[in-house]
Amino acid sequence: MTHYAYQTGRETLELEVDYVVVGSGAGGGSAAVTLARGGASVAVVEAGAWRDPEDYPYTLYGAFRDLFDEWGSSVTMGRALSPVLQARTMGGTTVINSAIVVRTPGDIFQLWKDQVGLDDPDMPETIWTYQDQIERELSVCPVPTESMGRSNVLALQAAENLGIEGHVIERSVKGCLGQAQCLQGCRAGRKQSTNVTWIPEVRRRGGTVLSCAPVRRLMHTQGRVQGVEGHFVHPQTRKKGSRFQVRARRAVIVAASVTHSPMILWRSGLKTPALGKGFRAHPGTATLGSFDDPVDMTVGATQGMASTHFRNDPGLKLETLNMPLELIAGRLAGAGKTLMDRVQNYRNLALWVAAVRAQSVGTIRPGIGGKPQVFYTMNKADMLRLRQGSIQLAHLFFAVGAKAIMPGVHGLPYALGPDQIHLLENASLDPRAWTSILTHLFGGCTMGAEAGKSVCDFDGKVHGTEGLYVADASIIPSVLGVNPQHTIMALSRRIATRLMERNL
Amino acid sequence: MTALFAFCLGAVLPPADGLPGAKDCDPSGFLRRLKKESPLVFRLSFYLSAWVLVISPLITVFLPLPAFLLPKSLLDAHVMRMSRSRLYGLRQALLMVKTVAGMCWGADPQVRRALGLKPYGEDPGTWRTD
Ligand SMILES: Cc1cc2nc3c(=O)[nH]c(=O)nc-3n(C[C@H](O)[C@H](O)[C@H](O)COP(=O)(O)OP(=O)(O)OC[C@H]3O[C@@H](n4cnc5c(N)ncnc54)[C@H](O)[C@@H]3O)c2cc1C
Ligand code: SF4
Repeated sequence: MTHYAYQTGRETLELEVDYVVVGSGAGGGSAAVTLARGGASVAVVEAGAWRDPEDYPYTLYGAFRDLFDEWGSSVTMGRALSPVLQARTMGGTTVINSAIVVRTPGDIFQLWKDQVGLDDPDMPETIWTYQDQIERELSVCPVPTESMGRSNVLALQAAENLGIEGHVIERSVKGCLGQAQCLQGCRAGRKQSTNVTWIPEVRRRGGTVLSCAPVRRLMHTQGRVQGVEGHFVHPQTRKKGSRFQVRARRAVIVAASVTHSPMILWRSGLKTPALGKGFRAHPGTATLGSFDDPVDMTVGATQGMASTHFRNDPGLKLETLNMPLELIAGRLAGAGKTLMDRVQNYRNLALWVAAVRAQSVGTIRPGIGGKPQVFYTMNKADMLRLRQGSIQLAHLFFAVGAKAIMPGVHGLPYALGPDQIHLLENASLDPRAWTSILTHLFGGCTMGAEAGKSVCDFDGKVHGTEGLYVADASIIPSVLGVNPQHTIMALSRRIATRLMERNL
Repeated sequence: MTALFAFCLGAVLPPADGLPGAKDCDPSGFLRRLKKESPLVFRLSFYLSAWVLVISPLITVFLPLPAFLLPKSLLDAHVMRMSRSRLYGLRQALLMVKTVAGMCWGADPQVRRALGLKPYGEDPGTWRTD
């Protein structure tokens, strides 16, 4: 129905609906469409602007400016500074992600039962049923052969040569053209991010959408949450616009991401002992391989091959990642003339990533200007996994004839040949020697049976409140060891469905 | 100040073998846009990092000179040694400057042409208003 973008003027925009959903990413998009399909009146309140594929940028600069939260400049505080990447746009991080879809592994439910008291024996079946539906809705399929590109094909061949599991990635992409632009959105409009799927459906079903509308706080009295409020913010100038107040007759569902959901509760005076705790991630480190012939990372699906061979032991996921030229200049070691000589080789480089199923735990607290700050340091066991990941990537590269690899570890030579892998085996375990990035984030409003140790229950209901639910990655109380968006979407669908079943 | 920061971008990505460097990619225009469009935290991290690059030759090449007064070969040695420095802060400052330089340089049509890559289109910078 109505979309309110940036508004100016003295008057407060006041609305009332059954459910207010804060955030429109994997969690928020899924909750909103589920509620709208159930016939409820829904308002989605999103901090970022609503951009369609034709609005997406081409350049990395444009992506940082138009799509990323804080221009991608958030970093962890701890022994090392690792970038924490998320989006701030309609569709959330589903706009900039690689759309990889992996079902929640069965062992995760057992873990939640053992560690946080999950008491719903039907949870696995329910989640998998929702994942069936989501896969149909979002056209999930393997990367088409013609869109693979050479880096993905090489990685598949490498896994086969080494006899380890390796597969073509399944993604929520309809007819991928292999333009390797997932990080900048998908101007071809093939990626099924929530801004082009579920949010338009919410609107078609009569829902209201507010964009450029960061929620400042939740309105509540005596533990009963009644709505949300904030000011519109101009997406370019960041100027404050009109005030908005959206009241919820039934409930507010917060799905503003791992870092922002806890801050909304915090700012609203709903701080509980577990709020902001239990932050976890899959830290990823990249290795480059140099080949005799062009690989061309600008051709092919951004991510097309993955291996879960090491998911349980030592706890790794290996993936390809086509990286734009702008980022490679920063990622290659060195500077000056030496860096230019190295970057000339761009077309012959492939970049593959090892993501760690890390056990380290951090916290999220208000930082400078009330912005979320993640405190996180990888422990020694996780650093060993990271190093192991880098070694496995080296083996993969050399299994398909890479001339050299560039692991980018401080203290090691720039390039290693096949007979130098032992140097990696002895590489420093100091997190500051490695370049790692956090893209899969979990926790901050974790779910659990005990109110003192968790923020919400398994239905997403925030302990000690009425009418307040959380439905995004922040409720996940463990790492998954696989890409998270499918789990987030299904958990959120379960939360929204149960809300409506109980007519709350 | 823009000229100083533009110098830093050029120092980490100088021209080489027919490949334009960051200084050939209108770094001043790029930095003016960055100043107007980026959030304060991003900008401050970059400015601080660029200053570190300017004042640290004493640590790397043992000369009490700002980087912009170094002869070309020593400037090259300075930024290279920053990248290998044992001081994490120095390496991180260089990484920040490289990241910004990479955004300016890697999107430039001449650079992309020289590497045999398709040039980018213009970022629309638009969004839905209805
Ligand atoms: C580069 C990258 C690649 C990735 N690739 C994959 C992949 O291929 N497959 C996969 O499974 N996962 C991937 N992920 C992770 C996945 O995208 C995220 O885990 C997932 O999107 C998180 O869902 P969410 O709903 O918790 O948060 P988000 O999707 O980030 O959505 C949160 C939304 O809330 C909004 N918001 C924040 N604060 C406020 C506020 N105060 N008021 C209103 N709105 C607010 C944000 O703007 C955002 O739109 C990737 C992540 C990154 C960064
Ligand atoms: S690889 Fe290209 S066409 Fe395919 S989903 Fe990503 S951006 Fe779209």
